Amino acid sequence: MTDSAIEVRGLWKVYGPKAERLVDSPDADLPRAELEAKTGCVVAMRNISLDVAAGEVFVVMGLSGSGKSTLVRCLTRLIEPTAGTIRIGDSDVTGADREQLLAIRRHKVSMVFQHFGLLPHRTLIDNIAFGLEVQHVSKPERRAKAEAILDLVGLAGLGSRKPDQLSGGMQQRVGLARALATDPEILLFDEPFSALDPLIRRDMQDEIIRLRREVNKTMVFITHDLSEALRLGDRIAIMRDGQFVQVGTPEEVVGAPADEYVRNFVRDVPRSHVVAVDSVMLPPADSDYCGTVPVGTKVRDVVAEVAGSELPVRIVDANGVTVGSIDRVTVLAVIAGGDLVSAGQG
Amino acid sequence: MAVASAALSTPARMPRPGLGQRLRPFAVHAALAGIVIAGIAIGRDVPSWFDAHIQSKIDQAYHWTVINNTTHWLFTWVFSPISDTIRWSTEHVLSFLQILRWPGVLIVVGLLGHRTGGRNAAVVGVTVMSGCGFLGFWDHTMITLSLMLVSVAVALLIGIPLGIWSGLSLRAEKVMRSVLDTAQVMPLYVYILPLVVAFGIGDSTAVVATVIYAVPPAVRITSLGIRAVSETTTEVGTSFGCTGWQLLLKVRLPLARRPILLGVNQVIMMAFGIVVYASLIGTAGLGGDVLTGLQKVNVGMAFAPGLAIVFAAISLDRITTGQRDERSDVDVVPTQRQLLLRRPGVAVAAGFAVVAVVALVAKLLGLDHFPASLTIDVAKPVNQAADWVSRNFRKGVPVVGGTGSFSDFVVVNLLNPTRDVLQGVAWWLIVAVALAVGLVSGGWRLGALCAGCFVGIAALQVWDLAMDTFSQVLVAVTLSLLVAVPIGVLAARSDRVERALRPLLDVAQVMPAFVYLVPVIFLFNVGRVPGVVASVIYAIPPGIRLTTLGLRQVPFAPREAAISFGATPRQELVKVQLPLATRSMMLAVNQTIIMVLSIVVVAGLIGAGGLGLETIYGLAKKEIGRGTAAGLAIVLLAIVLDRVTQAWGNRSQLVTRSSRH
Ligand SMILES: Nc1ncnc2c1ncn2[C@@H]1O[C@H](COP(=O)(O)OP(=O)(O)OP(=O)(O)O)[C@@H](O)[C@H]1O
Ligand SMILES: [Mg+2]
Repeated sequence: MTDSAIEVRGLWKVYGPKAERLVDSPDADLPRAELEAKTGCVVAMRNISLDVAAGEVFVVMGLSGSGKSTLVRCLTRLIEPTAGTIRIGDSDVTGADREQLLAIRRHKVSMVFQHFGLLPHRTLIDNIAFGLEVQHVSKPERRAKAEAILDLVGLAGLGSRKPDQLSGGMQQRVGLARALATDPEILLFDEPFSALDPLIRRDMQDEIIRLRREVNKTMVFITHDLSEALRLGDRIAIMRDGQFVQVGTPEEVVGAPADEYVRNFVRDVPRSHVVAVDSVMLPPADSDYCGTVPVGTKVRDVVAEVAGSELPVRIVDANGVTVGSIDRVTVLAVIAGGDLVSAGQG
Repeated sequence: MAVASAALSTPARMPRPGLGQRLRPFAVHAALAGIVIAGIAIGRDVPSWFDAHIQSKIDQAYHWTVINNTTHWLFTWVFSPISDTIRWSTEHVLSFLQILRWPGVLIVVGLLGHRTGGRNAAVVGVTVMSGCGFLGFWDHTMITLSLMLVSVAVALLIGIPLGIWSGLSLRAEKVMRSVLDTAQVMPLYVYILPLVVAFGIGDSTAVVATVIYAVPPAVRITSLGIRAVSETTTEVGTSFGCTGWQLLLKVRLPLARRPILLGVNQVIMMAFGIVVYASLIGTAGLGGDVLTGLQKVNVGMAFAPGLAIVFAAISLDRITTGQRDERSDVDVVPTQRQLLLRRPGVAVAAGFAVVAVVALVAKLLGLDHFPASLTIDVAKPVNQAADWVSRNFRKGVPVVGGTGSFSDFVVVNLLNPTRDVLQGVAWWLIVAVALAVGLVSGGWRLGALCAGCFVGIAALQVWDLAMDTFSQVLVAVTLSLLVAVPIGVLAARSDRVERALRPLLDVAQVMPAFVYLVPVIFLFNVGRVPGVVASVIYAIPPGIRLTTLGLRQVPFAPREAAISFGATPRQELVKVQLPLATRSMMLAVNQTIIMVLSIVVVAGLIGAGGLGLETIYGLAKKEIGRGTAAGLAIVLLAIVLDRVTQAWGNRSQLVTRSSRH
């Protein structure tokens, strides 16, 4: 894939003395405690490769300490990777010198942080304009831009406040606005909403979905909240002990967990919320249909139809051509989460 | 993209100011200019009717005490008993030290060092302490030590209970804090004078002054230690049904042991810091020796006893820091003998026995005095070195021009202009400026306080002297900050620099102020410049320390955010770290000012003139009124500078506090 927005190959991060030695060595596969006792090193990220397409939302999920923050910080070398290559757009990040790296950080990539990282001594406007300020954009110009972005994130008129006069949710809107102000191609989010309470978090997720429609940026989104990952992600990578154990669409991850670790993660997700009808559909039926839904509809959205009728539901593609059907038995199987699902898929 | 174009189309709306509004700043400027011109032209000197006659009143009071100090109840029942007790204690401590003789004292130092800091501390403590003997000042060191021990004991007896109290009760803490804050800006010589009135000239005044000086850190550190014991730990105690006393004795005090020991160490260090001042009021010992040397401008004579004080201070610091690595005890399996010695009672008894035996042997061998054959005369080589330095460095050094040229430069370009401005404008203009500065920095109350302090200086009739000192303080503070802040920034940004600096800063922290005077006289002879330079050198270490600390304490999150947006290291420093560290930087300024003010009097000794000299003169000639007036003026200056810089710090606190979520 040469048109991908981000391309990572064989990325390692090892903390500790003589870190380079561990890259690709057999020692790196030792259990964490043993490795630390033997070499004094911690492998935070091992052999990660990934491609993010332009405009895609790529979510990275994993338990605490699995290396998510390390990964996202390595992308702009806030943390220096131990080995591997990173390309963003047409710039080689790992080979960039100081100037090139500054240019990438200033113009191409912006980041939103878990703890906001706002500057408490500045007004919201000056916080939002910070990225432009370090690029030496003139004061009136950057203020005007910041003002407009403030509207975009729904904080119009609050520009002269200081961050500590805002709630956590509003502060993170400022964090978001600051990231948008430099008009980057790529946005990185490191657990941006985990410090917020659930209701606000939902609001902010809606904000991301809306933003995505309006400004269409490539996003790498770190979270440890599965429902957030499922809502936002085009693709989800599940991370454990510094490596990806599965990368796939939400329904692949929920529908076919790669191993026990992922299965534990997704166990509580109602599959019908994630699985699309076309991934479990039967061939077009001979009988009549009780309704018609487009490809991509989630299973839970046909529950009402099949519950009210014995007949199956027709599934059509974008051109209105019937591609398959789904009946009550299949729907129940998805909800029950049994093997029938994979049987249906096969 | 979409966002950007939307942003660009937003029109900037700015209301056009009306004519009146546009004229207003002009009117203000004109009024200010008028005041300044008036200030230069009219009423330069403090009018004589403004004299509050404080000097003569103090003199009268002093004469009254001289006449009545055997008859009045205040003396017979309060001051004299205190002073007698102190004299009795110091005499007995001294004779005890003499009975131990020098080998016994060294053994005590070694044993204490071993107990608190392991073998390393013992070796350093003993070696450095015997340095006092090699310098030929053993007996005088013992005199100083006896004063010090009594002062420290009394200070701890007062300070630790007060500290515990203020650690336990919020109300006590509040009261204590306001007292301590004031005490901290009070230079020692200010209360020396009233003490002289009460206790006369001599050792007991020195001890009382030292105690007053050293109690605040003892209280502060103890209280902090007690408070630091976490809520959950004390809750555990309470849940098991501890009474308040049990909680204190079994939970809080044991857990606060380390900070309290640190407090002991601090008290000892503070006490050493003022031995020279104490000698101003007629105490013998090392301080007196330094003073004599300084007064005769005999560098060599002042150097040796100064070095002995530093040695004694370092030695005591080592054996009271108590940084023994407690883990190392656990690793080795102790032998039977070690186990026995680890029982506290046994260890103490064994220690006593060893000391007694050594003292007895020393007596039998007739080791009454540190052997004269071992002493080294440093006075002569030091004087020769001083001569050499002054011959070679005063003038004609390539590029820098030499210390003499530096001196001239500072006098001509910094000290004189500042002093001329301060002394040249009308006194009431300075009061007005103080009012304005206070007003802007901290509101009406601070403005009133600042103006009041300057009016007070005028009423004390020491205006010109005070302005002389003020100009020196301003120059010294500016120079210190110019040196300290960049170094502090450097140390905050590079671990290597910080590691390299740390030992220097640590040593500097133990050095009493006057120690800097000696080498400074070396280089700059006497006058105002060596005073300024000594203050600068004295004030730089805390300036560096606080700058580094402040910058390093800036939370990582905003810094990382800045880097992620492509801020260069310089942008990160200027736009994030420095603004977020303003509070600590202001604290650095504040500390620098206090350090400089505390050395002003000693600077008077080496020709800095001003209020410092006046204070010393008053003491030396028993013109108590003159000395006190000058001392009070220093305090008033100190209060203004301290409060104003504190107000700056507090304003920025509002900003920094919110940076921690
Ligand atoms: N400076 C460091 N030195 C040594 N080990 C580190 C360092 N920073 C991180 N690690 C280790 O690297 C691993 C990955 O850390 P990372 O912060 O990327 O995890 P995370 O997935 O973001 O966790 P969280 O959800 O808690 O933020 C952790 O095990 C951590 O202990
Ligand atoms: Mg993280």
